[in-house]
Amino acid sequence: MARVTRTDPRLDLAAAATCVVAALVCLALPATTRDAVAGALRSSLMAPLLRLQERAELGRRTLRGHDVAAQVADSVALRALRLTGIEQENAHLRGLLGLGAALRWGFVPAEALGGRGVGDDPTMLISVGRREGIEPLSPVVTPDGLLGVVDRVDANLSTVILWQHPDFRVSAMSTNGDAYGMVQAHGGSGANRFFLEMRGVLLRAQLKPGDVIVTSGLGGVYPRGIPVGTVVSELRTPDQWARSYLVRPAVPLSEAGSVLVLSRERADAGVPNVWASAVGADSAARRVVAAIDSIARLTGDSNTVRQRRAPMDTARARAGVPGRRGP
Amino acid sequence: MNRSRPFVTAFWIVVLVLAHYTLRPFLGWRVQADFLIVALLLVAVRARPAVAAVCGLAIGAGTDALTPETFGAGALAMTLVGFGASWLKAAFFTENLALNAVFVFAGKWAFDVVYLVAQRRMHAADLLVQLVWWSPLSAGLTAAVGIGVLVWSGTDSVRRRA
Repeated sequence: MARVTRTDPRLDLAAAATCVVAALVCLALPATTRDAVAGALRSSLMAPLLRLQERAELGRRTLRGHDVAAQVADSVALRALRLTGIEQENAHLRGLLGLGAALRWGFVPAEALGGRGVGDDPTMLISVGRREGIEPLSPVVTPDGLLGVVDRVDANLSTVILWQHPDFRVSAMSTNGDAYGMVQAHGGSGANRFFLEMRGVLLRAQLKPGDVIVTSGLGGVYPRGIPVGTVVSELRTPDQWARSYLVRPAVPLSEAGSVLVLSRERADAGVPNVWASAVGADSAARRVVAAIDSIARLTGDSNTVRQRRAPMDTARARAGVPGRRGP
Repeated sequence: MNRSRPFVTAFWIVVLVLAHYTLRPFLGWRVQADFLIVALLLVAVRARPAVAAVCGLAIGAGTDALTPETFGAGALAMTLVGFGASWLKAAFFTENLALNAVFVFAGKWAFDVVYLVAQRRMHAADLLVQLVWWSPLSAGLTAAVGIGVLVWSGTDSVRRRA
């Protein structure tokens, strides 16, 4: 192995120190300058590599899709569809197609580009940008609900702030409109960082575990009715004037592969009845269960009380809504 | 020194950079090999520490452009790893295959340590899990790739030992 002889160690140290200082300066840059530098790099030196990465990501998903299609075509392989991973991918793609059909207009499909893969990254690059009409503050959604919002837009790429980002905020409400609040990342360490929290809910508006939370449409960024998550429990906070709730996100970050970006016009026009089937089924199931509970309490029928979850579970299963936890 | 050696090295660096942006996302594994670290180490063992540091800064800044929230963390980590690897090459980079694997493993793990600390995103417990579990796994995979590159790239004595 050939090695170059060191002639002047001081020169090496000086060059390395300069590089370290340059890197530290990059770390300390103000957000606007940092974004401008990063954007310039993305659209110049890194552009060909990013195009390669996009192709590779598409190739991986195509390969998976091909596997699924082959299994569907082959009746012998139908049993393999029960495999969890393939079922999830299949359901996700079907859901995306269904969501696109329900939205009809005003959206741009995009692929998520993976980051460095070291630790958690609360932002995500997507494969569409200014040329596709993407603007900052455009909501990013999946068939399950809200994933994040576009933060920065380059010519061919955009950076998305995911719901796990500390700056992520969305005005949200319960499906019946009784409770309003502000949803943000729960933060913390361990599993806590994969949850959201809903703050500022009025004391009189109490939410129950399993209640679906959707965007309220207030603030003008997110249209009303996009699922944000499901209430897990109430949080103990020092606030005396409002309640806070722990919310399980509607879109797990691990499923952020293929996404849709809503255009500004679509966000302004609203998304009525797009996610309504799942949310509506959940609300209807709750009303049915509440009615059965009332009847059971009046009649003292213990069998009815024990079996009261059956219609709810059926409705949830049909709507594709995950079941509630707990007894 | 063989005259064709710089071209062979340049060829493998290009291959590794391309692999980082094609093979890595194509595989999509939870534990991923860092081809750029291997490329940087290839440069570091053949160049002066100053050149390795500048290469580290350039590679790190390029990859940081994809994660603007932590812009600079990768550049800092790559700079330190490049400089350190080039500085320590006399001690570590021998013709021994196992030592080369340790060299690449340590380089990747050191990168993760500096990067995660510099980005200041993870809490203590999560950072510990990342550094004790996921980073060593990734470093092991990266070391395997590094050994493969060394064997294929035609370092004669390494090939003989392989």
